[in-house]
Amino acid sequence: MDYSEAAERISRKFSFSGQAVDVKKIEGKLRRLVDEFGVQPQEAERSVTNELNKEFNIPAAGSGGGGRAGSTNEQKKIAEGLPGDWVTIEGKVVALSAPASPSIAQSGIIADESGAIRFVAWAKSNAPAMAEGSWYRIESAVVDEFKGVPNLKIHSGTTIKEIGEDRSLIPTPMPIKDLHTGIGAVRGKVIQEWDASHERMLQSGLLGDETGTIKFVIWKEPGREKLVVGSVYTIFYAQIDEFNGRLSLNLNTATIMQEEGDIPVSGGESEVWGSIVHIAPGSGIIKRCPVEGCNRALSRQNYCPIHEIQPKFVYDLRIKGWLDDGEKTHNILIQRDVVESLTGITLDEAKQIAENNPLGMDEVFLQMRDKVLGRYIICHGREIDGRLLVNECERVKFDASEHAALLNRAGGAS
Amino acid sequence: MSTNPRDMPRREGAFEREPARRVFASELRECRYQFKEGEDEKSPTFVLLPTGERSNRIFIVGTLTEKSRQGEQNIFYRGRVVDPTGTFFVMAGSYQPEAMQQLARIEPPQFVAVIGKPNLYQKPDGAFMNSVRIESITVVDKDTRDLWVLDAAKQTLDRVDSFNAGTAPDVIKAKEQYPTIDPAVFRRAAYDALAQIKM
Repeated sequence: MDYSEAAERISRKFSFSGQAVDVKKIEGKLRRLVDEFGVQPQEAERSVTNELNKEFNIPAAGSGGGGRAGSTNEQKKIAEGLPGDWVTIEGKVVALSAPASPSIAQSGIIADESGAIRFVAWAKSNAPAMAEGSWYRIESAVVDEFKGVPNLKIHSGTTIKEIGEDRSLIPTPMPIKDLHTGIGAVRGKVIQEWDASHERMLQSGLLGDETGTIKFVIWKEPGREKLVVGSVYTIFYAQIDEFNGRLSLNLNTATIMQEEGDIPVSGGESEVWGSIVHIAPGSGIIKRCPVEGCNRALSRQNYCPIHEIQPKFVYDLRIKGWLDDGEKTHNILIQRDVVESLTGITLDEAKQIAENNPLGMDEVFLQMRDKVLGRYIICHGREIDGRLLVNECERVKFDASEHAALLNRAGGAS
Repeated sequence: MSTNPRDMPRREGAFEREPARRVFASELRECRYQFKEGEDEKSPTFVLLPTGERSNRIFIVGTLTEKSRQGEQNIFYRGRVVDPTGTFFVMAGSYQPEAMQQLARIEPPQFVAVIGKPNLYQKPDGAFMNSVRIESITVVDKDTRDLWVLDAAKQTLDRVDSFNAGTAPDVIKAKEQYPTIDPAVFRRAAYDALAQIKM
């Protein structure tokens, strides 16, 4: 088999980025993979390319890699850089953070008037150290993605020049609901503070503005201070990450300014209309773990996944199900007092049913199901992790004016 | 080959439940085309509504007028649910034990809310037969029935409007599959259904 063509292809890819590679060596590597290890030729080519990428500290670029090589050294605004692009940018180092690994010399955030991006300078790149607050021209860096967030990589082929002047740079805060992964600016109020879930965590909680809410985290680091609940802050250059489909603000890199006054905050409330099309198992009357701060639902054998058998459980009511408007189906979780008003069965009555009926807790499930399934309701609540936690709900009433409007609409065009 | 995370699904395990379409009996009766999305054994099957919307699940409220138990070894229940425009044929077998028990306990006539999967069969004589495999069926009151008629009428009119706009892929598919059906008949059916609600 002939490997020269594939080897040629690979070496071309790297010469674009200014790296000299030995075609004969590549050919040898390919031959070894295919002949000795029975690797598919296409896979071998990919793996050799990746190996070289690693060698030159070039992140494995996305789909565009070779195809977009023509854009090398093209000067771009930070906001225009897409993963896989080779870019030259001019920006201000607005934050430096502690490198996460010894192979990283420096990491932080660099910004221009179009936006901001995280950067990483590899130790191997021998790049000059940049100072926070100064402007630099960075040539031939690579944009890639790390954990779904664009990231600028400074490797050995990158040149960095300091720009003497200090240009003005003021980011504009965005509404919370429009935030996306990357670096962002917000103006919001701290509406909740949560128990730290990790010993390295300084503070976590919820930040809100009139458009929505977002979780924030500050990790312990010298010079970092807690935010005050109820205060309004303008925050520049926060890192916005996504975890389990939820956005979260990391404020360690951010510039934070406390403000006077108050702003209106949306409770993150949403309203969903539809019919209940499914009541899931685990609805009705349930037992909860009595250990303080646990409150997990117990299994039928009164078993808590953390605290094991708990004979002194606490009863609770809930309904888990799906609310469907014909276009989209919403996962809903209805809390006790709402279950009581929706089904007309109180917790005490449910206990009676569960304790005096041969079917026990299942009987409560069945009675509640028959009372709510197929009914039209409007739910209000907060949406968390794709599930609406319902704290208020009402049955839909027949609206004669809607009836008349629909009759007109249906009759009008025929 | 792309390794760009943006080309991959946003989040693994992010489950989207198929919505339950609101459809009148007169429209479901006209369905002749059923298709599967994807090659997987568990890929959802859709019935294409003549107004140009795919439907893997439907929600109907009507009157259960009859039910019958059938089969010796494999018991299943059949029923007829009537709305202002026609009749739905519903069924629940031993693979839907909960739905079967629910249906078994209901004595017709009663208003019922049915959530189920539409199915298209072709009889040996070539005639098409639409039935609904019940996921759940509960007795409801007349208010819920009236609300459903409003809901079904509104969503039918919405579908007819987007059919007339004619750009959605499923609308184009519907025009190919149902060349002889004029969706104006469904607008008419929605009007008749609404007119039957007494003020």
